[in-house]
Amino acid sequence: MTDATTLLVGPFNRVEGDLEIRLEVREGRVSAAYANSPLFRGFESILQGKSPIDALTITPRICGICSISQSMAAAQALADLAGKTPSPEGAKVAQLLHMIENASDHLMHFNMFFMPDFARAVYADRPWWDQVLTRFTAAKGSALKRAVEARAGLMHVTGLLGGKWPHTLAIQPGGVTRAPSVRDKVRISADLAAFRAYLEEVVFGGPLEQFAELATIVQLSGWTGGDVALFLAISDDLALDSSGCGEKRYLSFGAYPGPNGPLFKRGTLVDGTSSQLVPEQIVEEITHSWMLGQDAHPSRGMTRPDEDMREDAYSWCKAPRLAGETFETGALARQAIDDHPLAVALAAEGSVRARVIGRLLELARTQIEMERLLASIDPRAAFMRHVRIPDDGEGVGMVEAARGALGHWVRVEGGVITSYQIIAPTTWNFSPRDGRGVPGPVEAALVGAEVRDGEETPVSVQHIVRSFDPCMVCTVH
Amino acid sequence: MTDTSAQIETFYDVMRRQGITRRSFMKYCSLTAAALGLSPSFVPKIAHAMETKPRTPVIWVHGLECTCCSESFIRSAHPLAKDVVLSMISLDYDDTLMAAAGHQAEAALQDTIEKYKGNYILAVEGNPPLNEDGMYCIVGGKPFVDQLKHAAEHAKAVISWGACASYGCVQAAKPNPTRATPVHKVITDKPIIKVPGCPPIAEVMTGVITYMLTFDRLPELDRQGRPAMFYSQRIHDKCYRRPHFDAGQFVEAWDDENARKGYCLYKMGCKGPTTYNACSTVRWNEGVSFPIQSGHGCIGCSEDGFWDQGSFYDRVTDLTQFGVEANADKIGMAAAGVVGAGVAAHAAVSALKTAQRKVQDNKKKEEA
Repeated sequence: MTDATTLLVGPFNRVEGDLEIRLEVREGRVSAAYANSPLFRGFESILQGKSPIDALTITPRICGICSISQSMAAAQALADLAGKTPSPEGAKVAQLLHMIENASDHLMHFNMFFMPDFARAVYADRPWWDQVLTRFTAAKGSALKRAVEARAGLMHVTGLLGGKWPHTLAIQPGGVTRAPSVRDKVRISADLAAFRAYLEEVVFGGPLEQFAELATIVQLSGWTGGDVALFLAISDDLALDSSGCGEKRYLSFGAYPGPNGPLFKRGTLVDGTSSQLVPEQIVEEITHSWMLGQDAHPSRGMTRPDEDMREDAYSWCKAPRLAGETFETGALARQAIDDHPLAVALAAEGSVRARVIGRLLELARTQIEMERLLASIDPRAAFMRHVRIPDDGEGVGMVEAARGALGHWVRVEGGVITSYQIIAPTTWNFSPRDGRGVPGPVEAALVGAEVRDGEETPVSVQHIVRSFDPCMVCTVH
Repeated sequence: MTDTSAQIETFYDVMRRQGITRRSFMKYCSLTAAALGLSPSFVPKIAHAMETKPRTPVIWVHGLECTCCSESFIRSAHPLAKDVVLSMISLDYDDTLMAAAGHQAEAALQDTIEKYKGNYILAVEGNPPLNEDGMYCIVGGKPFVDQLKHAAEHAKAVISWGACASYGCVQAAKPNPTRATPVHKVITDKPIIKVPGCPPIAEVMTGVITYMLTFDRLPELDRQGRPAMFYSQRIHDKCYRRPHFDAGQFVEAWDDENARKGYCLYKMGCKGPTTYNACSTVRWNEGVSFPIQSGHGCIGCSEDGFWDQGSFYDRVTDLTQFGVEANADKIGMAAAGVVGAGVAAHAAVSALKTAQRKVQDNKKKEEA
């Protein structure tokens, strides 16, 4: 292949929502990539004219897999609008719910979305293929079954505290509607213990604390337990440490706020240098999006789809930029910005391996933190504080979903929502080009990916795209 | 990937292949009978059917949606239900879970349609947006509405999973920017089973599909096309907080003492009195709880139009009284819902004394 050819990859399966990527291929390598989010529902216009508290019910329905993150962002935006904070114990319960969802998303991604690609026939000659085939064949592998079971068990906690999952209603600006009793605490602690046992036996093949303490890539390479070790072997064999490398600009809104700031820090990390995040520098650009209006900060943004689907645009997704630059967001970014030494080393690599390990590292740390958080909950305290939503004002909710930074910007006038703008993690990661023609993080990471002769859905592209754990329903909403 | 032989195996074959033991299989049969409200004498019948009948292929497609239905489904409780049902339907085509990608996936869909023409069940999650020729939801380069019509053409029956497929759900809320349209407005010549809820309860989903696969016929539907076994009672009828309602004990604010005591949430906008679903009996996340038990009112997510009835936190005020005799059939009857071909109409109707908002709304619509 000497001339440039074009490949259209999609629909992608095993991602939440629809995704299509156009690839230009030159000499067996991707030379340019264009990510298209072909699903648009118009949540931001639906929210206009509604009562602000209805955002608590409507926004979670943007996404069935990260609905608690949407609840958290909406509740935070409304509390901000009212100038209040939730009751401390209520905030803890909400946070526990959020951690459970994030942990289960990481687990789901590894087992159901990412690993099954290594069971493809194209790898039949690799030494690890047989093992992957039994454990990770899509919808059938033994690892998948265990993961789904373990996750359903963990979700008992969301059932107990949130009434139902997906689309839990319990999270409110003032706290949560359900005050856990002492007995609930015992049940939850049993559920968490069961989840830990599963993680240690199957996923990590060793104590979580030990994995969370790995500080260097050399130490990581020495890990021999569980499915993590299987992934590391595959990664070494396929050089996933040098595949899908990003621009090494990371951002995190900070996860799980507490009295002393977020548990996982807020900030940015650019080429190894960390800085403060300045949310005012966020701009959503629309040059290559089928959107009308102007580039704007989300507090001033609008969502008006271009029904003509103009020629120079190619996605419903807007292009969020921070100080004019693209940023990658997700577990790797979060852990690196939180100064975890292994994550910092991996962030410098910025590869497929880095993103996958970043997620697993966070899974281990989150489990430990959930146990700590549960122990600190005092069932006798108040779990809800009265919050009156004012008729006029603005509010911002910035949280971390499993896939990265999620922001809600709301404006209320005369008791109804007049503007509601959402930037989801995958909006950052899968953004189209901006006004300067700079490709979004995934588009950039795909450049250089190998396309083997005759491959129509290049397997390397699958790995790279999935390493970002796209959630397309959130992206455009 | 999957077998290519023309002969379709039985459910039991599939299960055996998945490594499910005889013991687990029998346990599953009794659980199924129980879930469907059948007497234990049905257990051998179910077992026999599963051992001898060729499995029913299922094609599962996704339109405009949030994937919450799939998420709910795979978290289904009964230890085996999910496993067994997953292997039973083998997800001949499901783009969230399957292995293939791109053209391969498209080809798999086409193959499945060809191979099981007239025999497969089409399960639809989400709905097609019709504005701009369907351009707001593109699957494999084509509008989802085309894929839906194509897949429905040779389907034996269609299951509309969740509020999106059944009624439109929040994405169809005013001003319905994409003209998100429920499945039955697009597919008009097939029996359609609506399984509303946002999402539906996992056990309800597996229950419905198991019934159809086991008995090879549609479950009894109410007038709105919902399976009567799960949607014939109001949340309110079986709510554990009902005694507080009857005693006039209400939560007045989220943070009050009554909230702690678990009083009735009616004044907090609970839609339990007007919502037909199994939440208060089957419950969620493996039977652990349901929204009212978590201290938050029901938002009525299994009812048509729940997203555009004023604020979710507004009290249901146009209900003059709550008669327990009202049932979904009666309401549905007035709603003049379309009943799909081959659907046994539910004959039992109890007296309706109450004027439900739905009835009023629909009358208005009829008059208009």
